[in-house]
Amino acid sequence: MTAGPAGPIMALEGVARAFGGIRAVEDCSFDVRPGLITGLIGPNGAGKTTVFNLITGFLSADQGSIRLQGRELLGLAPHEVERLGVVRTFQHLRLWGKMTVLENVLLGCATPAGESVFSLFLRAGAVRAEEARARERAMEVLNFFGLTGHAGDFAEDLAYPEQKLLSMARIFATDAPVMLLDEPTSGLDGESLQRIVPMVRRLVDHGKTVLLIEHNMELISELSDQVVFLHQGRVLAAGAPAEITRDPALTEIYFGV
Amino acid sequence: MTAYLAHFLVMVGIYAILALSLNLLIGYSGIFSLAHAAIYGIGAYASALAALKLGVGFWGGMAIAAGVGAFASALVAIPSLRVAGDYYVVASFGLQVVMLAVFMNWTDLTNGHAGLPGIPRPKLFGWVIDQPFEYVFLAAAFAVLTWAICRRLTHSAFGRVLQAIRDDEIAAQAMGKNVVLVKIVIACISSALGAMAGSLYAHYITYINPSSFALHESIFIATLVILGGSERLAGPIVGAFVLLAIPEALKFLAIPDTVAAPMRQIIYGALLIIFMLVRPEGILGRARARAQ
Amino acid sequence: MDLFLQLAATGLVVGSLYVLCALGWGLIYGTTLHFHVAHGAVFTLAAYFAYAGQKLLGLPLAVAVIGAIVAAAVSGMLIDLFIYQPLERRGAIRTTLFIASLGLLTLIENLLAIIFTPDPLRMDVGWLADAVQLGPVFLTRLHLVSMTTAILLFLALMVFLKHSRWGQAIRAVSSSPEMARTVGIDLRRVHLLTYAVGSAISAPAGILIAMDVGVEPYRGTTFVLLASVAVIMGGIGSIPGALLGALFLALLENLGVWKIPSEWQSTISFGVFLVFIVVRPRGFFGRKIQSAEI
Repeated sequence: MTAGPAGPIMALEGVARAFGGIRAVEDCSFDVRPGLITGLIGPNGAGKTTVFNLITGFLSADQGSIRLQGRELLGLAPHEVERLGVVRTFQHLRLWGKMTVLENVLLGCATPAGESVFSLFLRAGAVRAEEARARERAMEVLNFFGLTGHAGDFAEDLAYPEQKLLSMARIFATDAPVMLLDEPTSGLDGESLQRIVPMVRRLVDHGKTVLLIEHNMELISELSDQVVFLHQGRVLAAGAPAEITRDPALTEIYFGV
Repeated sequence: MTAYLAHFLVMVGIYAILALSLNLLIGYSGIFSLAHAAIYGIGAYASALAALKLGVGFWGGMAIAAGVGAFASALVAIPSLRVAGDYYVVASFGLQVVMLAVFMNWTDLTNGHAGLPGIPRPKLFGWVIDQPFEYVFLAAAFAVLTWAICRRLTHSAFGRVLQAIRDDEIAAQAMGKNVVLVKIVIACISSALGAMAGSLYAHYITYINPSSFALHESIFIATLVILGGSERLAGPIVGAFVLLAIPEALKFLAIPDTVAAPMRQIIYGALLIIFMLVRPEGILGRARARAQ
Repeated sequence: MDLFLQLAATGLVVGSLYVLCALGWGLIYGTTLHFHVAHGAVFTLAAYFAYAGQKLLGLPLAVAVIGAIVAAAVSGMLIDLFIYQPLERRGAIRTTLFIASLGLLTLIENLLAIIFTPDPLRMDVGWLADAVQLGPVFLTRLHLVSMTTAILLFLALMVFLKHSRWGQAIRAVSSSPEMARTVGIDLRRVHLLTYAVGSAISAPAGILIAMDVGVEPYRGTTFVLLASVAVIMGGIGSIPGALLGALFLALLENLGVWKIPSEWQSTISFGVFLVFIVVRPRGFFGRKIQSAEI
């Protein structure tokens, strides 16, 4: 593991998870360093999405620990993980298609008063002020992602690249410092890649820490500062992108030659 | 004739409250409950008993009804909503069956089949509301209040979260929403409002017995919601008007009672099927106009 | 003690009816994930088919019963073909399907109430109604037939699912529809088959009730929901689980009568159900249903 200037913001240690007899993730340990993009790569079925599901509480681990700045995440429900500061996108996006783009992002903005039944009826003023702030914030986020013009459209009506941007925008709006992106570039062609890739970079410029799953070996150097190579649920190698992509043994595993 | 019309309007008001409150579950949260008639009954019995035995009157009775209704619902919602949608259907059916058994068999409290007579009329600043047309205003006031509460809930950040949970629970969890808690809260609110309708009914009819709160009533209320179209708040109210008019219309056809009752149920059943096949967007669909 | 044994025996008789209902409903639910409450209507239809066959057409008992089972299987298939499949083609969500099913249940039950009146109608069963004494326990021959039928159909279903080609297709769809589709299984045909088999298994329960205490139009609703409780308790997707859950419920209700007045039977079942989903949401053995897959 390359030594960074700061300690890890998130650390996985000996994480394991089996489905029936199949060990999807085994003895998986790696660090995520703050302010960097960590790329998670590996062949199909290497357990990358399972790692995401374990971190975000959608799956329970059989053993190991996942710490966010010292706090254990394993055993928490997904919404508790989010509140501690880890958010994620999904491979199949899971946008709220029948809600507007603005509403999708508003669901990421903090609206504790508006979501509390008591303050809805007893603190109408606070709710109104909070909703106005949230809308302002949501519009800023949309602007950041270049989606302002689509604010009133239904999410399902967006083109695919824009849907991908929206899936990032709505978690960006949560202010959680750690963003997990599940294949942000999959299904995109040349031109739209040129929109997404710099956007991921800009997330880091805004103080985010990114852990992303990437399928494309070519893009991994461009997209990430450090790489974790996963194979059959284990971390096979970790280091700078150049080292990983140049390693013939890893390339062989990756392309299954 | 005016008394007949007034009675019809009071019942429309009461059913509008039931439909609006059930719509919070079916339409806005995607949770199907078969227990709304039981909740309605809980409200009616709680309010009637509070008035008859504790002497708290209509307003106190209604407050107690809302509390008991929410509590009964929580008892069922907390175990079953923690798991998944289908469990709630079964659990709510269970509540329906159990409550009907309570109404019929806990005779010391509910007087069984014979029912509870002599429930006092509501009083407002010492003025007894006992004329049918006066009651129309009371029922309408509560229907409007329920509508306002539902509107506040659904047109807010809370409503946004409800819709998000309905459309994609996993995504809502990933965005930090406490899905289980929100579902339990909305189930309790829906029941508190439904129980208030029961209270309104009990003090209007002044006599209640278990037959008003059976399973087919639950299905009837669900039909009101679905027929009206569940994504617009006005839908259930329109549904109540139309569906309550059907049995009135059947009265003019001089059909014997033994046929008329199942005939109504057949119409409701057919409406449910037809609506699901032909116009499912009445429920859970994209019925809302596009934003600007 | 004698009372206890008698109650246990009655529990097993009622249990055999619950078992048949739960096996059919559970097979359909586990395979299609349709919350098929209209199964209650199929079960009631079977009873009226048998009644009409014997009393109105004058058929011999055995012919009427077999005819009714076939007619019930066809009814189940028609429901899938003309209600559920069109809904699924349009990408309807599960709640929509459930509402349509509920509408169908209401429609059929009330139609039967108009045609046959809401009063119970009994079939003639001849010597089957004779009582037999087994130690301290009294049952009728018909009760023994109920239990035998439940056991035989349970075994037949297990063998069918394990060893026949069609049974294996059903199991494949039940464990993973996507996987089944990729290996070339036609989901719609498997669903139809499941409806036929599931309906045919539950039909005898309705018919046995018509023979014993008489058929009524509204009994199916309670039965289908008890079946769903049994299936959830047993574990969704598990056939032995459905059997166990149904027997457990029936014994609980009937042994409960020993200490608790019988009008609270249903309260016991659903009370236990609520405790059960807190303690063991997966059931005795089986998978818990997920509202959505990640």
